[in-house]
Amino acid sequence: MIFGACGEQRYMLNLSEYRNTIYMNESMINKTRDFALSRFSSCTFFLLVLLIGLGPIPCAAQDWIRTGTGLGVDKVRIAVPDFKPGTPDPKNADLQKVFDATLFSDLDNAGIFDLVSKSFYPLDVPGSPTEVHFDAWSNPPVTASMLVFGDLGVTGANVTVHGWLYDLKNSASPQVLGKQYTDQATTDAARTIAHRFANEIIFRLGGGIAGIAESKIYFVSERSGHKEIWVMDYDGANQHAVTHLGTISLSPRISPDGSRLAFSSLTKTSWEIKMYSIDLNRLVSFPSFGGTNLSPSWGPDGTKLAFSSSRGGDPNIFTMDATGGNLHRLTSGKGPDVSPTWNRKTGAQLAFVSGRTGLPQVYTMEADGTNIQRVTDQGYAVSPSWSPNGQFLALAWFRKYGPGAPGANDIYLMDIASKQWVQLTHDGGRNDFPSWSPDGRHIVFQSSRSGSEQIWSMLADGTKLQQLTFSGRNSQPNWSWK
Amino acid sequence: MAPDTEIFFEHASLGRPLAWSTGLHVGFAVLVVFSAWILPNHRGEGWGAGGGGEAIGVALVSNIPLPAPQAPTENVLANDSKGLSKSQPQQQEQEPDAIPIPDKQTKIKPKPVVSASKQAKPAPEPETNEVPYGQGGPVSGPYGSFNAAGAKGGFGFTGGGGDFGTRFAWYVRVVQQKVSENWLKYEIDPRIQTANRVYVVFDVTRSGQPSNVQVEQSSGVPSLDQSAVRAIQRIDTFGPLPPDYSGSKVSVEFWFDYKR
Repeated sequence: MIFGACGEQRYMLNLSEYRNTIYMNESMINKTRDFALSRFSSCTFFLLVLLIGLGPIPCAAQDWIRTGTGLGVDKVRIAVPDFKPGTPDPKNADLQKVFDATLFSDLDNAGIFDLVSKSFYPLDVPGSPTEVHFDAWSNPPVTASMLVFGDLGVTGANVTVHGWLYDLKNSASPQVLGKQYTDQATTDAARTIAHRFANEIIFRLGGGIAGIAESKIYFVSERSGHKEIWVMDYDGANQHAVTHLGTISLSPRISPDGSRLAFSSLTKTSWEIKMYSIDLNRLVSFPSFGGTNLSPSWGPDGTKLAFSSSRGGDPNIFTMDATGGNLHRLTSGKGPDVSPTWNRKTGAQLAFVSGRTGLPQVYTMEADGTNIQRVTDQGYAVSPSWSPNGQFLALAWFRKYGPGAPGANDIYLMDIASKQWVQLTHDGGRNDFPSWSPDGRHIVFQSSRSGSEQIWSMLADGTKLQQLTFSGRNSQPNWSWK
Repeated sequence: MAPDTEIFFEHASLGRPLAWSTGLHVGFAVLVVFSAWILPNHRGEGWGAGGGGEAIGVALVSNIPLPAPQAPTENVLANDSKGLSKSQPQQQEQEPDAIPIPDKQTKIKPKPVVSASKQAKPAPEPETNEVPYGQGGPVSGPYGSFNAAGAKGGFGFTGGGGDFGTRFAWYVRVVQQKVSENWLKYEIDPRIQTANRVYVVFDVTRSGQPSNVQVEQSSGVPSLDQSAVRAIQRIDTFGPLPPDYSGSKVSVEFWFDYKR
């Protein structure tokens, strides 16, 4: 019968009655003979034949799910056992170690999983779907809802990884994800594969938000003796210098497509905006504006830059094309206006810091310079960073500023629509320059809590603090857009 | 006018047609009744089966090396399973009555009083994992209940006619989590202490975007209804629907309970 595929699920109780009716009629067909004998009621018989002959009308299948808030949304409990060797090659061990560690830490850092400690895992780890024992993983002590497993094998110069994501509570159709990767058999490639696989898992289970495992963080480091722009993976691995200018370079900002890096640099005469091509690995020409030009910021479409320039007297916010042309002044009047940041979702607003009333405060305005509104009420507020979903500003704030005032320079989160704020860092030295991760779940910032200025990251609720840099002095991090 | 009225006196003889009619009716009724014996009775049995007549019999091949389609979930609403969330009482085996051997002096012994403890125990009450309508089971609860006995019952209610909830529980969870994250309670009138549940329905398209957001049942508090709708509208995407899912969209009913 086709009734099972019939829609109209919103009236399911009625539907079930309907189904029962039909099922009853079907059984009646078989009894028709007796029925007709006893009653000679051929009329009823024909009615039944007619009813059956018409049959069900198939309708479009449509699924309904019902759910609600307040049902206790916990993080997904996920088990990530080490991958099995796929081939007997002796090079497996090294790559596997890198791969397993990277995958585990990527998922751990994602902020949406509750990773089961490896010490709870059963001894026989699956390497392929046929080897999965659901009970062993879904029962205590593991009690995982999801299982990531697979194998990694080196054949010749290549490494092949098979990875699966299984929904352990759904033994009928457990597979959520199955992937195969092939790359050169190097540890870098193994790390990349782990990042990609982790991103896939996070994308599926994290609601369509791409994972950040392949994102980069640009920052200013003094470890070479000069303040140069450096870059590292999001987890602090693979740190290396981008610029070698031998001067002071500050406020790196990577473009939304990741191809160019804007920053401000001290030239012989003044501070100017510089443009560095990541693709070409060199500076590209960019106009000089005169005066002090600081804190560039990319618009979300990558065609515009906002920055602060003192070419007309007091520092004001200007916008320009990505090529440096088409300069527009957005703010005017007394007091310095610096540190613009675009609304990353719409590109229709800017937030910036202004000293027009004395101590610096954070303001917002439309992209054409109208409708300037102050969002911080007191203290000393700097370094706004607009979240990818457009809803929040992260900023560095002394709520109480002045000699002997309690509190410190901490990272705050402000909901722009309601002006409600929450403090993310506590009791940890000076914290400044927050920058959002592309998924909007993490914030990277500069903190002196370890004694010197270093780059730290945390989840956007202030938990899972992690120090990313350890050598030299490192500051002004900027997370890439993807 | 007398000749015209004359026709009313010409009685056509009805006897013969009536006899024919009666005869045919009776004959047809007899035919219907006896056809059940006369004709070979294979109605219904041959439907969909291979063979028969000149049609070519077709049987499913099992070893095509393609991913097998997911078996649809059995309909829980019209099958023979007894209890969905309650276990059935145990059936007691009845021993055949023994016939007493007649004796001379049969003392009528008082029947021993069966103590309460020896009486057949009532079936143990099931654990309180009963799934109330619309609240739960595998879809909205934690993952734990999929393989449990009551899980199927939970699904009939929550999953609707389709089996999306069973097969893609992880996706349902994503929807739940994202909506919960994006519900801003400060949008609700601060004077409201508690309110009725508001039901919001929306579709999730193939690419994962919510659409057709509507209040299905209002809470009576406009700001609460509004915040619920905004929570959905604030979401760009839940992520694309699972590739194994064949439908073009999923409809979600989401409720919001508010208590300050």
